[in-house]
Amino acid sequence: MKEPLPMHRESILPNVLAGDATRATELPMDSDAFAGFYERSARPLWAYLARVSGDPALADDLMQESFVRFLGASNPGDGEVAGRRYLFRIATNLLRDHWRRPRQSSIEEISEEFFAATANSAPSDLLAPAMALMRPRERQLLWLAHAEGYSHREIAEITGLGSASIRLLLFRARRRIASLLRQQSSTHQRLP
Amino acid sequence: MMLKPCSREKEVAELLRRGQWPSACPPELRAHLSACRSCGDIALVTEAFQHARSEAVGTARIATPGMLWWRAQLHRRNAAVERIGKPILGAQIFALAINLFIVVAFLAYQARHGLRWLSWLEQLPQAYSLHLDNLSQSALLNPGWSFMVLIPVTATLALLGGVVVYLASERQ
Repeated sequence: MKEPLPMHRESILPNVLAGDATRATELPMDSDAFAGFYERSARPLWAYLARVSGDPALADDLMQESFVRFLGASNPGDGEVAGRRYLFRIATNLLRDHWRRPRQSSIEEISEEFFAATANSAPSDLLAPAMALMRPRERQLLWLAHAEGYSHREIAEITGLGSASIRLLLFRARRRIASLLRQQSSTHQRLP
Repeated sequence: MMLKPCSREKEVAELLRRGQWPSACPPELRAHLSACRSCGDIALVTEAFQHARSEAVGTARIATPGMLWWRAQLHRRNAAVERIGKPILGAQIFALAINLFIVVAFLAYQARHGLRWLSWLEQLPQAYSLHLDNLSQSALLNPGWSFMVLIPVTATLALLGGVVVYLASERQ
């Protein structure tokens, strides 16, 4: 990945005023570097957003918005690993903003894809029903720790929570979802 | 709930992270897992999440990077234009405030001096016909219509007109 180009206000203004807006729209990496980064990061990010939110259509929107904001950031981090962590941080904030907004009031506003995805995931996947019973923050922590393999310190950086509290929150969330998974597993085994 | 970390948690987590679970798991660690709830939870949860991740990654619908690149450039350009627009807006507000101040000062001045030009206006149709030469003559002769008043009024109107035209063209 290329080094991010520095962007200062003083360097933007004269160019824009002179009618040359090219420098003002310079992004932290070139298009080829971005294409490679996108190829490696888009699918894991979509998986995170889709499984934590439970809404694939929402994941589509938030993933695109995350990448646009990532490209708009003046310092998205050095290297691919830091860049990806920064990307997950943006996505986590976008999810939090989405959950803070008032919920959809009309069933017409919910896309058909949402129902299709929920219906498809139920019979084959034991994790989806268990995830649905978890709190949003627990889902985020569990996914980041167990699907993405981030350390407590990295999760703290992504979520903005204290590093010390991650350990306890994650321990509680893991214990709870493990119980739910065991319950579901035994229920499935009992069914003919 | 008590937080009781097991000393073998890291070992279990490492095997899972490397994808060597359960193939490379030694028998004594397997035996430990059946007895240790903490390690058992880690193994169960990590396996479930890794499976869910690989499934979700396979079904991900992603847009083309070119489209996002274009959107990001547009976003950045709009942000730059907005940034340089702020001082212009400040200048517009300042100009408007100056003009308003002049108008208010003029009105206050006229109110203090009894609005003599209003009485002159009432007398105008009776006394003079509306010819330009008569008008300029009367303005020079009447003490309420001195150049000291006419010039600021004209300048204010011109400035206000300029500001209105500029604001209208900005909106378009």
